[in-house]
Amino acid sequence: MNCSTLIRRLGLATAALALSLFAGSGVADSKGLIKFHEADWTGNLINGKIVEILLTEHLDYEVEYVFLPAGPAAWEAIVAGDIDVAFEFWPTYSPERHQYIAEYGGDGSVEYFGETGLVGKSGWYVPRYMLEGDESRGIEATAPDLESWEQLNKYKDLFATPETAPKGRLLACPIPAWQAGDELRVEKLGLDFHPVVLGTEVAQFAELEAAYTRGEPLLVYMWEPHWTHALYDLVKLRLPEYTDECFDAEAGWVQPCDWPDELPYNFGSATLKDRHPDVHTVVRSFSIDNEQQTAMVYEVDVNERDVEEVVREWMAANEDVWRAWLPM
Amino acid sequence: MPATSKERYQWGALIAALTLLLVLSKLEVLALHAFPEALSKGFTFAEWVNAVEDWLREHYRWLTRGISEGLAVALKAAERFLLGLPWVVVTLGIALLALRFGGLRLALFSVVAVLFWGVVDMWKPAMETLGLIGISVFISVVIGVLVGVACSQSNLMWSIVRPVLDTMQTMPTFVYLIPAIFFFGIGDPPAVAATVIYALPPAVRLTNLGIRQVSVETVEAARAFGSTTVQTLLKVQLPLAMPSIMMGVNQTVMMGLGMVVIATFIGAGGLGYEVWGALRRIKVGWALEGGLCIVFMAILFDRLGYAISQAREGRAASRFRLLPERWEHQPLARGVEHAIGVVYALCAALSRGLTLVVASAAERVARLVAGDDGARGLRELVTRHAFLLTSLVLLVALVVIDRYLLSFGAFPEAWEYSMRKPVDRALNELKVNEGFYAFTTFIRAAVFLWILDPLADLLAWLPWWYFTGIVALVAWISAGRTVALVSIACLLFIGAVDLWSVSMFTLATILASVLICMLIGLPIGILAACSDWVESIVRPILDAMQTLPPFVYLVPVLMFFGGNVVSAVIATVIYAVPPLIRLTNLGIREVSAQSIEAASSFGSTFMQTMTKVKLPLALPSIMMGVNQAVIFAVAMTVITPLIGGAGLGQEVFTALSVIDTGKGFEAGLAIVFIAVVLDRITQAWSRRRQQALGLES
Repeated sequence: MNCSTLIRRLGLATAALALSLFAGSGVADSKGLIKFHEADWTGNLINGKIVEILLTEHLDYEVEYVFLPAGPAAWEAIVAGDIDVAFEFWPTYSPERHQYIAEYGGDGSVEYFGETGLVGKSGWYVPRYMLEGDESRGIEATAPDLESWEQLNKYKDLFATPETAPKGRLLACPIPAWQAGDELRVEKLGLDFHPVVLGTEVAQFAELEAAYTRGEPLLVYMWEPHWTHALYDLVKLRLPEYTDECFDAEAGWVQPCDWPDELPYNFGSATLKDRHPDVHTVVRSFSIDNEQQTAMVYEVDVNERDVEEVVREWMAANEDVWRAWLPM
Repeated sequence: MPATSKERYQWGALIAALTLLLVLSKLEVLALHAFPEALSKGFTFAEWVNAVEDWLREHYRWLTRGISEGLAVALKAAERFLLGLPWVVVTLGIALLALRFGGLRLALFSVVAVLFWGVVDMWKPAMETLGLIGISVFISVVIGVLVGVACSQSNLMWSIVRPVLDTMQTMPTFVYLIPAIFFFGIGDPPAVAATVIYALPPAVRLTNLGIRQVSVETVEAARAFGSTTVQTLLKVQLPLAMPSIMMGVNQTVMMGLGMVVIATFIGAGGLGYEVWGALRRIKVGWALEGGLCIVFMAILFDRLGYAISQAREGRAASRFRLLPERWEHQPLARGVEHAIGVVYALCAALSRGLTLVVASAAERVARLVAGDDGARGLRELVTRHAFLLTSLVLLVALVVIDRYLLSFGAFPEAWEYSMRKPVDRALNELKVNEGFYAFTTFIRAAVFLWILDPLADLLAWLPWWYFTGIVALVAWISAGRTVALVSIACLLFIGAVDLWSVSMFTLATILASVLICMLIGLPIGILAACSDWVESIVRPILDAMQTLPPFVYLVPVLMFFGGNVVSAVIATVIYAVPPLIRLTNLGIREVSAQSIEAASSFGSTFMQTMTKVKLPLALPSIMMGVNQAVIFAVAMTVITPLIGGAGLGQEVFTALSVIDTGKGFEAGLAIVFIAVVLDRITQAWSRRRQQALGLES
């Protein structure tokens, strides 16, 4: 044996030793690993944390989060087996959603676990101080009779910005992919407004925050439940009432109406039922309402508390609620 | 063609063009504003891309998913290994590496950088990022060197690979995140795949370059001694190309770190996730912490990589290890250095002693197995690597102590310091400050009303064929027929995929950003060139601006200027202005002393020397700066949609959120083509100035 083979062997032996030294931190015995989708809004994190605690502490599972900013990519990831459970998906108004449900739900590669229990409401909002003023901040009511779309043109100058003048500015739905249909409403209702699409929710909140802290007029597309409502007092403007003629599943928005309720849903791997029936039971029965979730989201986003701490507090106070979700 | 007649000819063309423009505005008859539908109807590029993707998915997904599974295992192992190591060991390990190759100063810096991750409570994400980058870089380097070697052996191969590399580098990364999801799933494996695609080009380029630069004589000599092609390559060309290859590795690491935040969009964890999470919640302090972690990692690897690539050539021996050399005459400094020297000598003695013991033990064991020769060889090998051996012993000892004797535990909480609250508080105060608000509002209105809006209106108003004609003319005059034809092809593609008006808006944003860059960058560059004092202030700021991931300053821009197109322009300016300042400064400083001397001897004043001599001579360099600013501005269009930017970048984002690869590619290619046209034209300007000045043959 010559020198280099010896060294090679010694090297191998050292590597093996090192590996055995570090590989010690193995996985504890558990019934399996469940992969949750982690989206980038807090509501999704809270739902996930509640179910995670149930699975890890009451059913002896391990939970891993797969981060993916929302979007139809989650469908693809579920089919591929990268995600087992995804919480609180907002349906949006995009016709693509029907295509996805047809494509993935239809062939049974993704299972629809049911509604979250939340009721989503979209609309055009203005700050309350525009209507009633705010004495504590020294803001006067600038549009006391503004309550529906019919008065918007009267006040368009209030909403105008350098970029939109002489028209008023409407901060439209920031995500084009949702196809919320602001443009169609502005056009068909004959509003002298320019819908501005900012591209991300972040930009939208930043504009909202900036305008609100300075007490400026603002017309913005927003939705509930959302943490901003806990910080800012916003009033939803009335739009023509929603009927079934307003929206077409294929073509999207046809008439300028108010938005219908959105029912966010949970979905995930179609094979979960066979692989881990007890997990399947929990995620199918999980349900949370606007009020409960908003309270927790407020604690996390506004008071900057830890998600786990907030969730545990809620669980301690609502044991009878989550006990019922666990399998018998 | 002589210069004067060419000049006249250009002016004629320009005037003719302007007249045509005037006629056009009067006669609406010719205004074929819309791109012919017949063309765009037949050219369903997005559908073709998607069809190819579907086919690939159907037939080759098993392969990519397999790779993905393998990657996942490797990543898990790397992550577990790094997180399993006590923080003391990681810090010491990196510090020893830095000490070995870069000396005491680099070692101290690396300790600060590594401890910073712990101090801001980002140890875990930092280790995740380290693992991800490590594996991505490893794969990139392996593939890169192999492809680079292949390219260096065949001109045909290189001419095929080169345009592919160009596209890989200019194509907005968000575009290939979509197919990465389809083929590699989500999470860390597709992030590795995307990072490899982005970080591969410099490894290929610099390997190819390094091998091609080995002199013909050396290769001939090797051949003459009877080496085969493979032998020449392995024994002569590759070793000689090593510095260049190491440079490629260094750049690959840098590019990989540039992907950290973007990879979050397909589910990669680590520091990028922290930055993105902070951005989502508009928390500047948090984003800054994550961003600084990335900056420290980047600087650390950059310096370390540089030190390693220089190590072969031997460092210039410096008498002072820690303090600057110019303090040599201070007794205190000498005392400190002396003390350090003693510690050094002590450590070296200890290390030698230990090595001796290990070496003789190894020799004795080896003699039993491999006989005398092997034993002596081993002994020599061990003695030669005293530093490595001592470091390993030290590190393993620490791991053993941590595991079996007393645990170092997690990073001590008492050392943690969060800069989130103070930073956020300061920014919030600034936000409601009346004076500052008036200032930001003024800038916002000024940029929009005077620069962006007029430009956007003009570009939207010009008919597509007219604009194409103007661009082709400019390209022809400045860069020749080929570039003109390429420009026409690029613009026709943009029209045919139905992205004309969106692209014009993007172009307006880019031009507005570059214009503002020039307004800000040129004066600063000139000032820095005039005064060393200004330069010493400007330089570190530029360094920080260039290493900070742009995502970090998106948040303050968003807070101060709101979410709108102007914010996008401002963020672009911040990103694109550093190279312009640098090259302006460099260009002026490089003007030869003789020229300046000559000018002053003819009695020119300071201003005259500046405007008549320095600036004209520095113009090629300044033009290169403008060219760089343009390229940087184009790259930024994909990131600004996050704070309200519109145009092609937003199209890419929308495509990503509905995972439509075809649409993403269309918009991505449109961005690439805009970059190509702008790059070729501005480069040609710079080159022509250089030729005119006789600076380049």
